[in-house]
Amino acid sequence: MERPRPVPVSADADTTARTYSARNVSKAFSGVPVLEGIDLAFRPGEIHTLVGENGAGKSTLLKIMSGVYSADSGSLELEGEALGPLSPATAQRRGIYLVPQEPRLMPDLSIAENLYLGSLPRGRFGFTVNWKMINNSAGDVLSRVGLSVDPRSLAGRLPLAHQQLLECARALAHGCTIIFFDEPTSPLTSHEAETLFSVMDDLRRQQMTLGFISHRFDEVEELSDRISVMRDGAVVAHHLRGESDRASIINAMVGRELTMAKRKTRPERSGAPILDVRHVVSKPEVEDISIQVRAGEIVGLGGLVGSGRTELSEAVFGLRPSSAGVVTVDGVDVTGRAPQDCIDAGLIYLGEDRGRNGIFADVDLTRNASASVIGRLPRKGRLIRKRQEETMTQGALQNAGVKAANMGLPIKSLSGGNQQKVLLARWMMAQPKVAIFDEPTRGVDVGAKEGIYEMIESLTDDGLATLVISSELDELVRLCDRVYAVYEGRVVGELRGDAITSDAVGQLAVGAA
Amino acid sequence: MTTTTIAPSRRRLPVWGTVLAAALVVELMVFSLTNTHFFGGGAGMLSQIELFLPTGIVALGLAPVILTGAIDLSVGATASLSSVLVGVLILHHVNPVLAIGIALAVSTIIGLVNGLIITLFGIDSLLVTLATQFIASSLAVSVAGDNPPFGFPDMFLALGEGTVGPVPIALLIFLVIAALVMLLIGRTGFGRRIVLIGYNPSAARFTGVRVMRTFVGVFTMSGLVAGIAGIVLAAYFNAGRSDSGMSLLLPAITCVVLGGVDIFGGRGRIGEVVLAVLVLGYLTQGLLNSGVSSLTATMVTGLLLIVALVVKIAFERRSGESFLGTLRRRFAARTGGSPGVGRGAKGGSEKAAAEPRDPAHS
Ligand SMILES: Nc1ncnc2c1ncn2[C@@H]1O[C@H](COP(=O)(O)OP(=O)(O)OP(=O)(O)O)[C@@H](O)[C@H]1O
Ligand SMILES: [Mg+2]
Repeated sequence: MERPRPVPVSADADTTARTYSARNVSKAFSGVPVLEGIDLAFRPGEIHTLVGENGAGKSTLLKIMSGVYSADSGSLELEGEALGPLSPATAQRRGIYLVPQEPRLMPDLSIAENLYLGSLPRGRFGFTVNWKMINNSAGDVLSRVGLSVDPRSLAGRLPLAHQQLLECARALAHGCTIIFFDEPTSPLTSHEAETLFSVMDDLRRQQMTLGFISHRFDEVEELSDRISVMRDGAVVAHHLRGESDRASIINAMVGRELTMAKRKTRPERSGAPILDVRHVVSKPEVEDISIQVRAGEIVGLGGLVGSGRTELSEAVFGLRPSSAGVVTVDGVDVTGRAPQDCIDAGLIYLGEDRGRNGIFADVDLTRNASASVIGRLPRKGRLIRKRQEETMTQGALQNAGVKAANMGLPIKSLSGGNQQKVLLARWMMAQPKVAIFDEPTRGVDVGAKEGIYEMIESLTDDGLATLVISSELDELVRLCDRVYAVYEGRVVGELRGDAITSDAVGQLAVGAA
Repeated sequence: MTTTTIAPSRRRLPVWGTVLAAALVVELMVFSLTNTHFFGGGAGMLSQIELFLPTGIVALGLAPVILTGAIDLSVGATASLSSVLVGVLILHHVNPVLAIGIALAVSTIIGLVNGLIITLFGIDSLLVTLATQFIASSLAVSVAGDNPPFGFPDMFLALGEGTVGPVPIALLIFLVIAALVMLLIGRTGFGRRIVLIGYNPSAARFTGVRVMRTFVGVFTMSGLVAGIAGIVLAAYFNAGRSDSGMSLLLPAITCVVLGGVDIFGGRGRIGEVVLAVLVLGYLTQGLLNSGVSSLTATMVTGLLLIVALVVKIAFERRSGESFLGTLRRRFAARTGGSPGVGRGAKGGSEKAAAEPRDPAHS
């Protein structure tokens, strides 16, 4: 192990402008080519965005450029000088940092410790950690990314949105000037994403070299100086700021025209609610929330991250205690019951934090997908029939549109969007009556998003009571028959049918009723 | 939605299991060739391992615990208590079957108590079982009294030294438990939950796994299996010694680790643990039989364990990765220093037992 270098503590350490390029980079995973001859240059003072379908190879390219993977062939050049073999640590020392698709903080360490992990500033004699210096400089770095939190508090307590900013602060704390953001915004609301964008804008003005991946076109167009479209492991198109027209980018991405479908109007439902949540309190985030969802309707929860929507879902699903209120699923009281009891009663919850609470990274696709129905797997006596289990999950994965070579792969080897589809399949296998989808299309590409919407719609038409939490207003507008707006732990408004517009939901979500 | 086909998973030969099997064959051949006494016409070889079987049995109960990412340090002391208890009861003319039943019940209760304390109070398994280890071993000493029980009826001794045909009964007991644990981990819902918790306790909870219940089950089982080991010990030594079990703990952990079970939970196969027991057992016994002092034998065992673990890392190399690269990646995955790879979701898995708090219980 190399010795930790002293950390540049001043806010503007090494701001030399540098171009960083990939030359003819190729990569295959166990024989399957993922990148083929990529040539791409990231320039200082620019935000260069990669777009492309799930599995196109965007993350893989950035991982190679930041030393996580090594390329099979080709080279990486920093200001025209070829870099040798790169590890994440050496990349960081050359000022290159990847803010990954899933934040990878140590939840049990403080924010400051997370910032300087691997290179804690030492005291004068090099034996002791200089905590005073850390906590002071941590404050500086955090404020550069607009985070005003106590550096001594635990990183695991931060909401996902802030963890992303913390990752960015970590890059700055290590004096990095080439920073890649792999879908940083997928867990954020548009409001929170604005904070990140203004940070990125700042960095751009400081002549840093920035790479960006996103599936959200509004922000891609707003932010990018340069857009490169990837498809099947190759760069197929370049666009400069201003000359980009969304339709042609999407066309290059998926090879066909795509239009956002209109909301399907479903008949108004009047039966007894299948999911009935009454006056649930789960402090501090959930003050008092009541919602009803009927069979065959899609109900949305709009609001900011931190408004209590996720916490409400966790309380309903038995993942966190609630101090008051009643929850029934199809007439069965599940208040305070464990998640397994909720699943048995017909309620499922697709959580928002895929990396931490969703996937079993090292486990194969079969066991990842069947995890929700372990008790119901086909058996011979008491023993699970593995062949039948695999066939069963295979069907579910294919229905969800998962692209993968075989069922035995660990789920971590799938692209982010495909991981999400595996989780959708997992929950559909439980044959729920009520489904709560928390950010169902997080990290899913434009083409596949529509597929997931259609899947949710057809499940709902078959009688599912669906609750969707989404930070993307378009998504709520596209899907929902009704939307509750949640603000600071309370329902502050309800919209129906054509009254559901981005503006209306957005207004309510910020408490401007 | 477009449907793409996903191929079924390919069955692959477990690499580490093959290595262990090969090592076992080589080892048996070397000892048989250099030491005629060792081979003993085949049957002799089977009985060589008897002394090591209690350790192997403990390892089988311990493996599921380690698969969840927890640890049970109390197994050795539980085995001691069980062996003393069965001895004292038999000498007090309790029917041997009943005596065995009582000893196993007590061992199971120790495991159950471990599991309950760990889950209800959210205390780390290492600390809880460290404490119960002291309690169980002092109970063993006090039950044994001044004159530890010895001299049991033949029927009972058969458990330690008897044979069915050429096969020692103790070996049969070991193999039966091995088969049961293998099925349990590989083919039952309980086993599936154990493995998922080991890989990512938080995701397991979000997926509806009853994490607390599974922990309690796993520790209870470990207590029961340790109790069985204690009975075999008593039968082998023809005595209930209050210290006999303590020496099982570290070799048992060694077997589990050598068997490729990730000490942080999740990854591992029971079949490979069984092989590791045989490899280590024959190694120890073979060395002793060849006239090596037990001190040297232990040292050789330690050295070989290190060699084995290093070799194992070499086998885990990803395509195109250097050996040092593998080491670095593994190190990074543990410390969380490196992006993307490794087990991001596993931060704090040592606290696996502490994390899951069912709202129903809090
Ligand atoms: N470690 C790995 N082992 C095997 N295959 C992998 C591995 N990492 C990525 N892949 C495969 O490489 C392809 C590209 O994946 P990558 O993560 O780069 O896609 P992406 O463009 O980032 O997609 P997304 O938008 O869904 O995040 C996918 O088919 C994926 O399954
Ligand atoms: Mg990606």
